[in-house]
Amino acid sequence: MSAYEYDAVVIGGGVSGIMASLTLASKGFKTALVSRGDPVCCLSTGCIDVFSHSDEPLSGIRALLPDHPYSLVGEKGIVDALSFFSEIMEEAGLPYEGDPGRNRKILTPIGSTKCTCLVPRTMAHADMPSNEYLHVISFQGIKDFFPGYITSRHRNSTYSVYDAGVPTTLGIAARFDDASFLDAFITWLRGLEIPHDRVALPAVLGTIDPASVVEKISRAIGRKVFEIPTLPPSIPGLRLFRALKRVMQNRGIHLYWGKEITSVERQGCTVEAVTLATTGRAKRVQGRAFVLATGSFVSGGLFAGRDSVRETVFDLPVFVPVERRDWFNTDFFSGGHSIERAGVRVDRDFRPVESKIDNLFACGSILAECEIMSLQCGHGLAVATGVAAAKSCAQGLS
Amino acid sequence: MFYGESGYMIKTDVVIIGGGATGCGIARDLALRGIHHYLVEKGDFANGATGACHGLLHSGARYAVTDPEAARECISENAILRRIARKCVEPTGGLFVRLPGDSKRYRDTFLSNCEEAGISTEVLSASRALDLVPELNPSIEEAVVVPDCSIDPFRLCMLNAFTSRHKGGGILTHHKVIDIIRERGRCTGVKVLDRFTSQIKEIRAKIIINATGAWGDTIARMGGSDAPMTLSKGSLIISNHRLTNMVINRLRPPSDGDIIVPNEAVCLAGTTSIPVDDPDAVEVDPREVDLVATQAEQMLPRFGTTRLIRAYTGVRPLLKAEASDSRSISRGFKIIDHKNGMFSILGGKLSTYRLMAEKTVDAVVEEFGIKARCKTADIPLDGQDELSGYPLSKRLKDIDNIVCECELVDRTQVENAINSLGIQYIGDIQHRTRLGMGPCQGGFCTYRALGIMQETGRLTPDESIEILKEFLQRRFRGIRPALWGDQLREEQLVESIYLGILSMGQRA
Repeated sequence: MSAYEYDAVVIGGGVSGIMASLTLASKGFKTALVSRGDPVCCLSTGCIDVFSHSDEPLSGIRALLPDHPYSLVGEKGIVDALSFFSEIMEEAGLPYEGDPGRNRKILTPIGSTKCTCLVPRTMAHADMPSNEYLHVISFQGIKDFFPGYITSRHRNSTYSVYDAGVPTTLGIAARFDDASFLDAFITWLRGLEIPHDRVALPAVLGTIDPASVVEKISRAIGRKVFEIPTLPPSIPGLRLFRALKRVMQNRGIHLYWGKEITSVERQGCTVEAVTLATTGRAKRVQGRAFVLATGSFVSGGLFAGRDSVRETVFDLPVFVPVERRDWFNTDFFSGGHSIERAGVRVDRDFRPVESKIDNLFACGSILAECEIMSLQCGHGLAVATGVAAAKSCAQGLS
Repeated sequence: MFYGESGYMIKTDVVIIGGGATGCGIARDLALRGIHHYLVEKGDFANGATGACHGLLHSGARYAVTDPEAARECISENAILRRIARKCVEPTGGLFVRLPGDSKRYRDTFLSNCEEAGISTEVLSASRALDLVPELNPSIEEAVVVPDCSIDPFRLCMLNAFTSRHKGGGILTHHKVIDIIRERGRCTGVKVLDRFTSQIKEIRAKIIINATGAWGDTIARMGGSDAPMTLSKGSLIISNHRLTNMVINRLRPPSDGDIIVPNEAVCLAGTTSIPVDDPDAVEVDPREVDLVATQAEQMLPRFGTTRLIRAYTGVRPLLKAEASDSRSISRGFKIIDHKNGMFSILGGKLSTYRLMAEKTVDAVVEEFGIKARCKTADIPLDGQDELSGYPLSKRLKDIDNIVCECELVDRTQVENAINSLGIQYIGDIQHRTRLGMGPCQGGFCTYRALGIMQETGRLTPDESIEILKEFLQRRFRGIRPALWGDQLREEQLVESIYLGILSMGQRA
């Protein structure tokens, strides 16, 4: 077995794990990140929902109960973490816009509006006044995007369809990375002589530098242009993940990607190492401290059995508020299912309670009481708790 | 084709209410005897107990000890349906497995009663049974092979209705009976509400047949009579895999959760038996899911760990009896002549639907005073040749246009279903194409199918969003009782799409 030693080992390659590892690396700690595979943020809109239940996320967060993870981070911690995130995205060439003090509305593929906080620059003009005229561009054969839904809900809107030669969102996005494809598209678009104020497209405008693609289209037709995030596979989610991963690599964080943890070594109250299954020899990754960011059920950090919920790496105690038959409400749309409160409880320093492990910290949607679905706060909570748990971890290390 | 139709007043000889196996079977029987008829059904075919059962074509063995008469009916119908409905029946064979602790004396009675009823049996040692079904609990004592089959109830209804339509009968699905027309104490027709256009149509007939299963008493009362029944809810669960190629029964007196039936790519396990009052207000209780899963895993241990994709419940219409345990009430059937122009067919089971139809139509023929012999047991169901299946190679040819990834249903199939069948209901498309029948239970493809319907102009965008909402709500009711493991992960992903990305939540 080959062995590697780090100051901190972060487990989980989603937004919270990446933000935690970037925080630790920025403080000079030798950091590794272990991930079983690409995270579920690739399926998201790429927008940072901080708290979508009120127009002002921070005041909404202030009203949360003290056991919500946001309350452990505190308002200043949340604002600082979000601005750290924005700096990183600027550096990664995928700039985000928005203000933690105010939510904005973006257009969805069914013409409804979604409340969110920070958005990629390609969606900066998505919060549009209802009296403006909108033209939607769709693509031949694209799945899950039906412009009729949008035009039926917006009085002053029409749509056209462009044939990109491929029907999938990934395929179309890859074509937009190519300058000659983009030029041909722009020529077609100019030919439409759109009189509308704004032009909306499904979020497929390139995988590498979408902000420049939007800028270029916008300049060519003299209209405000914005993207509409689509159903999974979602390009903005993928861009977010790839950009964050790039920054990690630039900052010297050691990545163990696509590796499953097969065992955990404990010595008294400390975790000493985790062992990874690899195609060659098993790898032993040793750390002075560990950060658990494996996510909730969808990501696999938690697993729901028929009668109990298990934490899948350390078998930590999991808080489950009610019995299985009451995990879900009977109404699909009302949200607020009790199971959303299930998770790992942590103390003020983000150490799991009752775990009897001193050098372990947890962050992200694995935390108990986070209710990311009903509060619509997934990525915001991941950023805020990822940074906060890493700060605690850093304090423990020094 | 609909002779006698003038405006919204239709005249015919017989109106059948109910599009389950019995109602459709009656329509076919009437068609083959040359009697004009209309069938009205408030939903799609197999909307009630027909579509919410195991899909088991009984050999009769299950009833051999408790109800020898039902056992004899079953084995005789079993042989007929294998012959006439080959495209609906999969001759899987069945096993009755005896687990440690199950009575050996019961097994002896079982074997001798099966012989008496004419049901063939073969006793297998545990190791031979495991050769046939490797997923069986290895600690079984022995198993008995019987001629149980898997049957597709929806297809069965469609094919029976096909003959009726072909011979000039009228089949009106999504038409709900809102009133029975009575003149001088006699039922002379029905008023139905077309649920799509909201138009009310009147169908005049000489005889009305009430084949509405659990809703039988409601309809009989509309006609000024009654049809007392005991209603019993039976809940089932669906596994994500076909864990067995044979029907698996428990060799013990009939009880909860002791039948597992393979169906296409999945297995159905059930059932429970709980008395209920209102057939429209039944839901699966998560405790029923636990009960069935626990029983099923005793026979097939993997039922305890496999992903369950849905739970559902049907209401059995049982003949009224004094017994308090609803399982010991006879599953036999009864035809009531209300002496007011209405006949009710009560009780029965899917396996004997044809016999029930035959006896009902015999009563109608007698009432009309004509002579016409039943032919349904002799002629194979029409339309089976067209059900040649849809091979994988064809499905994959248009891979860019797959609408339902779980069942590989492509856009052409969906558009054909919409255009040729004039289908306005998403459930109808799902029943006919298998769209949304896989592990995601329509979580991804229903939005897509509705988007296509909206593009073809069949629905306005607002209508299609409303239907999507109703669908998601209904889907969630089916999934909720069995949510744990991987199915819970997928459910949260589906939630994040509709409540997150599309922002369809009420509070958003």
